[in-house]
Amino acid sequence: MSLRLEPLPSSPDRPDPVLELATVVRNDEIAPGAWRITLEAPSIARAAQPGQFAMLTVARRDETAPVLPRPMALYAWDGREGTVDVVYRVVGDGTRVLTTWRPAETMTTVGPLGRPFQLEPRTRSILLIGRGIGICSLTGLAMAARDAGVEVDAVISARVREALIGSQDFARLEVASLTEVTDADGSSGVDRLAGQLASLASGSARWNQVFVCGSERLMRLATEVAKASEASVQVSIEARMACGLGFCHGCATGIVGASEESPLVCVDGPVFVCRWDA
Amino acid sequence: MSPEVDLRVRIGRLELPTPIMPASGCFGPELGTLVDLDRLGALVTKTIFHEPRAGNPAHRLAETAAGMLNSVGIPSIGVERFLIETLPRFTRWSPPTIVSIGGLSVEEYWRLAERLAGVPDIDALELNISCPNLEAGGHEIGADPRAVEAVVAGVRSRTSLPLIVKLTPNVTSIAETAMAAEHAGADALSAVNALLGMSVDARRGIAPLGTVTGGLTGPAIKPVAQRAVLQVVRAVGIPVIGVGGIATLADLVEYLRIGATAVQVGSATFTHPDTMLRLTDELVAWMRERGHASLDEVRSTLDTAGVRHELAAGAPHAAG
Repeated sequence: MSLRLEPLPSSPDRPDPVLELATVVRNDEIAPGAWRITLEAPSIARAAQPGQFAMLTVARRDETAPVLPRPMALYAWDGREGTVDVVYRVVGDGTRVLTTWRPAETMTTVGPLGRPFQLEPRTRSILLIGRGIGICSLTGLAMAARDAGVEVDAVISARVREALIGSQDFARLEVASLTEVTDADGSSGVDRLAGQLASLASGSARWNQVFVCGSERLMRLATEVAKASEASVQVSIEARMACGLGFCHGCATGIVGASEESPLVCVDGPVFVCRWDA
Repeated sequence: MSPEVDLRVRIGRLELPTPIMPASGCFGPELGTLVDLDRLGALVTKTIFHEPRAGNPAHRLAETAAGMLNSVGIPSIGVERFLIETLPRFTRWSPPTIVSIGGLSVEEYWRLAERLAGVPDIDALELNISCPNLEAGGHEIGADPRAVEAVVAGVRSRTSLPLIVKLTPNVTSIAETAMAAEHAGADALSAVNALLGMSVDARRGIAPLGTVTGGLTGPAIKPVAQRAVLQVVRAVGIPVIGVGGIATLADLVEYLRIGATAVQVGSATFTHPDTMLRLTDELVAWMRERGHASLDEVRSTLDTAGVRHELAAGAPHAAG
């Protein structure tokens, strides 16, 4: 059994990314270790699509380090207000520096980047599965699906309840069902997730498409659940990146022994079609 | 009226509109959606090989103090696809196109040079000699002055394009490889390529890079690169392109003062994609302010004697 990721077809009408000197509107801790930053970046906000990301340069305009910008899923955006929101977890030096950014500061920002999630025209009902910080790439999709009249079942999971990112935002979107799973009972959250998904799937729920963001185990779960509904699965992948545009090849999925370059997460993804081959 | 500032520089017979160009591997025409590439001194391709090849396993990037490590491994679509798919995306911009070439044997450089010799729209070749020589135990070709001489002489005899040889810093004497390249017919040298390095995740006890070791670039390598450029400038008579950790106007001016004719900007483009354009504007403003009409007035103006005088003036007996 192995996991196979295939690029989605690239849409020719997708706008080119832009470099925007974004103004920080706010940057606050929303849960222990999780922060939400709002940037005034009108061009990115106008063009953004669900599943796309932006490169946030953690180094200030007159600074030269940290050298690498951080690829961040667009959590929410508002084309009329001209703002984009990113939710990030403090995991290292870069994100620690990011917490020091204050309103009115100017940040080097590039976006929107990558191939978005694709809702097929005939889709009536979708399942979203996200765990931890991976939930962040699904919120925008939930919004777009609601606007398109598509029914959304969302299953979000985290180690502890406080780390359940987006819980209120999903509730506000009035998704058809919101299932929250934590590791609070001591067992692995992913195991419990499997149980929850199985009971959802055995109910009346039938999905046209399944969208997932999380670990490889979660992707596998998603493909199993999707099988019963004969739904296709799209997954959002994260990777370290340097350029975000496709020229540096830092984020290749990197298949060992291949004679040609493997797909790049930045331009061939970050959303891929996900299959679990026997 | 502000005095005119002339930013033009010559690399062999190639004239560049400005001395600021990207470092190979840290640039692509994709950047043209973000910044105006017509304002650069030259466009430099990622290193291409004669045959298609895959890159290294993930992860290929790691951040370090004031720098970054990469183990991309130079994936290439091969020269034939490069000519059809990639080159036209460079030549639609006005600056000269410099094609970076690599090889896993001395002969691969020659074959590639031969294939590119008659191609219009290529303005110069840069030889990336930091590739492993698979016919000599995988050691860097650029670490062996005899191999460097063989590569450059063979390329020289197959093309009339201006040749830039990009030197590796991973050697005992960079002056020696610089002289070998000059002797074999290089028109210019670029110094330096990435420093071999590694990093370790102390908590998890793993190496973040898929290949464990990789190339260190960014502000962290500037002092090493500048020392190398000084040694190269002193050893050869051909133009030298300074590269390593350039992110600010001060970095750029330092390289010019050491004796670099032009510079390449690498990792800083990742940090702030408009770095090369900012540096161009800042260089013009700086030259105007100081009344410099051309870069000849800045190049090789490092006063090494002055440092000793300052130290003498600060000695305790002088202060008393």
